[in-house]
Amino acid sequence: MATYETEEKIYALATPYYPSALAIIRVSGEGSIETLSKVFSNGERLLKSKSNTLCHGYVLDGDGNKIDEVVLAVYKKGHGYTSEEAVEITMHGSLPLINKISLNLERIGFRKALPGEFTYRAFMHGRLDLTEAEAVEEIVSAKSEEAASGALERLSGNLSTAITVIKEKLIDILSSLEVQLDYAEDEILEDWVYPEEEVREIISTLDRIIGSYDASRLYAKGAKVVLAGKTNAGKSSFFNALLKENRAIVSEKEGTTRDYIEAECVIKGLPVRLFDTAGLRDASEEIEKEGIERSRNLMREADLVVYVTDGSDDNIPLQDERMMVIYSKLDEKRKGEALEFSSVTGEGISDILDAIANHLVGKKGFDGDISIESERQKDGLSECRSILSESMAHQDVSVDLMAISFQSAIRSLNSLIGDVSSDEILDNLFSKFCLGK
Amino acid sequence: MEMDMYDYDAIVIGGGHAGIEACLATSRMGFKTLLITQSLDAIGRLSCNPAIGGLAKGNLVREIDALGGEMARLIDNTMIQFRILNRRRGPAVQAYRAQADKFSYSRLAKETLEREGNLELFMDTVVDIIAEEDRAVGVLTERGWKIYSKVVVLTTGTFMSGKIFIGEYEHQSGRLGEEAALGLGDALREKGFHVGRMKTGTPARVKKSSLDFSKLEIQHGDEDMRPFSFLSGKVTRPSLECYITYTNEKTHEIIRNNIHRSPLYGGKIVGKGPRYCPSIEDKVVRFPDRERHQIFVEPEGVGTEEMYLNGLSSSLPESVQHEFIRTLPGLESAVIMRPAYAVEYDYLDPLDLYPSLESKILKNLFIAGQTNGTSGYEEAAAQGIMAGINAALRLEGKEPFVLKRSDAYIGVLIDDLTTKGTKEPYRMFTSRAEYRLILRNDNADSRLTPLSPLVKEERRMALERKLSDMEEIRELLKERKERGKNGLDLLREPDVTIESLSIPALERFSSEEKEEVELDLKYEGYLKRQEREIARFEKSESVAIPEDFDYDSVDGLSQESREKFKAIRPRNVGQAGRISGVRVSDIAVLQVALRGLKGGK
Repeated sequence: MATYETEEKIYALATPYYPSALAIIRVSGEGSIETLSKVFSNGERLLKSKSNTLCHGYVLDGDGNKIDEVVLAVYKKGHGYTSEEAVEITMHGSLPLINKISLNLERIGFRKALPGEFTYRAFMHGRLDLTEAEAVEEIVSAKSEEAASGALERLSGNLSTAITVIKEKLIDILSSLEVQLDYAEDEILEDWVYPEEEVREIISTLDRIIGSYDASRLYAKGAKVVLAGKTNAGKSSFFNALLKENRAIVSEKEGTTRDYIEAECVIKGLPVRLFDTAGLRDASEEIEKEGIERSRNLMREADLVVYVTDGSDDNIPLQDERMMVIYSKLDEKRKGEALEFSSVTGEGISDILDAIANHLVGKKGFDGDISIESERQKDGLSECRSILSESMAHQDVSVDLMAISFQSAIRSLNSLIGDVSSDEILDNLFSKFCLGK
Repeated sequence: MEMDMYDYDAIVIGGGHAGIEACLATSRMGFKTLLITQSLDAIGRLSCNPAIGGLAKGNLVREIDALGGEMARLIDNTMIQFRILNRRRGPAVQAYRAQADKFSYSRLAKETLEREGNLELFMDTVVDIIAEEDRAVGVLTERGWKIYSKVVVLTTGTFMSGKIFIGEYEHQSGRLGEEAALGLGDALREKGFHVGRMKTGTPARVKKSSLDFSKLEIQHGDEDMRPFSFLSGKVTRPSLECYITYTNEKTHEIIRNNIHRSPLYGGKIVGKGPRYCPSIEDKVVRFPDRERHQIFVEPEGVGTEEMYLNGLSSSLPESVQHEFIRTLPGLESAVIMRPAYAVEYDYLDPLDLYPSLESKILKNLFIAGQTNGTSGYEEAAAQGIMAGINAALRLEGKEPFVLKRSDAYIGVLIDDLTTKGTKEPYRMFTSRAEYRLILRNDNADSRLTPLSPLVKEERRMALERKLSDMEEIRELLKERKERGKNGLDLLREPDVTIESLSIPALERFSSEEKEEVELDLKYEGYLKRQEREIARFEKSESVAIPEDFDYDSVDGLSQESREKFKAIRPRNVGQAGRISGVRVSDIAVLQVALRGLKGGK
């Protein structure tokens, strides 16, 4: 079970996970400054910085390349929110940059904070002069967030299936080890043989998942979603309704004509670049034609086209994995059969957002990154992979040590599969082996 | 008619493995103790298999010994075969197991109790606990005695409302031929205890001279018989053979054809049985593809004809038992001396206990052994000694003695029982322990002897001697040079053993001492890692929750967690986190609330 404690170095995004001008990532815990200095362009200066001062520079990745220009607010022990050694990183509020820096912080030894953990630490260090109730409330309000996070069911179908298979296989292997340790050699006659083929299979599945995470444009750059439909079909009202739900940044593209409007937003945790096209109408003027051509290109590159109609069109496109149709008017006849929304009341928008997220994530199969949580999950997968290949290289160690490897392999996946208790292993063991003198 | 008897400091109910350790602990800690048992002839009886120890269980025995208990010495003096199990599966999880001479074991147990200065034995059946307000103050017996004491330890085993089943036959017994203890279970129900039913079983005993040994495989013991006790010297005991045979299709067919006559399958038994030790009918039904099941034929003692058919426990009718037993090679003309039977009994929900094994329902009442839903002699004895020590500490007005999960298998056992409860008879497994590389059987004394309030000077001295011997061994190893490395570094290599280094100066040390040094070195890296994990674990164990903590006053706890906290009343934050279904955020809320208390806000 993960626990709240005050020993480890933690980090968390202090501003909402939405595109914005600036974002702040907070790190806290003993040794934070030194650790952070390893990926800061001006590490020396950071180390020498006094408490409550600012320090300007760049955060670097593992190869020394600049990720983003930042300003660090430095707090020595006894200062700052948690009263621990801490740094607030003020950076540009782009989601890919936030993801990159988070990943980088985890690489150098920061753990993503549990919900409310900063407040928890502040309280434990006697820093918060709040009444007890207030501190509690903050942790509690973080609970809904926790409830929604990290669960297997949030992953897309394929990924969830693949992880479940890995979990079951690992539990089977661990059970086959535990049975050797919990029953004597005269009862379990066979010696344990390293299940090389199975482990190889698990490793290759892990590789596939990890690979697709890495390649995932959806996560790194955001998904491209294009709104299409006839002029006045309700595209703009959908676009605006969406902006009301999501704090989005709208930028109008410059050009000879207003081809499309782009907005960056987050749909169900997935970064999305949303394009409102000029509308597919019959082009008479040359200039309009050009715009429509650009819209067509945009649609070709899109991860998903959302076709908006008021129902009056003759040729509504067929839905497929890249095409979704939504109706801009509520109609009793369609109820429950098609996606529709009311631009007046906003009714139906939320269902449509769910559908868009499912469409994007489901289509990509393993590319099921749908929140920053996935970075931690990916690390878990990588750790699991390295433990397994390590165990494969040392197949001759005794069973008691081998069991430790597989226990750790299972534990490394706990952000995906939850904690696996010893009771679960025993349940599996008793169902698979006929035991008992 | 009721009569009052002389008062005692402590009363222990039941003379099984839990009762033995409990009454010895209280009397050895200086308190006048009465052991009440239904039969003086049944003290320390091995009701089921004639063996002590085994994986994880062997560690329990050595832990009991390290705490100052008796079980290890009883088996050291009555063993008739000894083996170290799973040597090659990993030195860290190897365990001792010994076949016992049942009759000598039980006799020695009784004589040990009789010799104990502060202890009286009395034969009667307890039918109720006398309570004043919320505390236990004595017992009422079947023959009308009212006996008062300051603390009571309850260890009823399978006897509380025990009922045995052999096919259609049923009888109110705790063991075949021994009357059940009736009345107590109902009396406790009325007092608000949560009473449930559990089931276990035992196989038939057959006559040795009716077996054809030419058809049985022989299983020898180890030549080197090692003592379980850290105080016993060399063990020189007879080493008898065990035997192995197998069931076959014919056996399974007979069982399948008669399965409807089993009270287990006929629905007569409601209690939950252990999955790790299923009856033969369970094995046949649950694993239909298995062509055969291994059966161990074990002697019940040196002079006796009774042989125990390990692996063949059953509740089928006797005539069916006769039939299927005789399908096994070597057992074609086997004569059954005692039939197999199932026994169902009352147990008390261990979630009603504090980790000291004191009841939350009645103060000064401690409960141990199979009554708490466990199975096994070793599990019972482990709880018995802890209940006894804690009863004595209560009499001394001291804080309870609670072992952590990182201290001992006993700590794991009692923490599991009192934090998670149990749905089937609880047996210890090494996989239940998080830190099993550290909870080894060889180092039980260094782990526990210094902690125990029960141990005497003799045992402390023995530990000191061993530790200084081990230090000397390490010094001698350091002096040894080979390939530019010293002996300590050489031993860290997988293929080097302390024997292979053949250092003459080491000959005067015992193999146990040398092996322990070797294990500590071989596992050094892993041990250090576990020690770091333990340090983290112990931090949250050290955040105590006041006993009268008001969970209702804490805002923000989820309803489910609040109810669980109130029912289980964990002693510290670590235990609170192990309660099933409790969420991380609830623990954080709890910690903040506790911090608030400490700050006096």
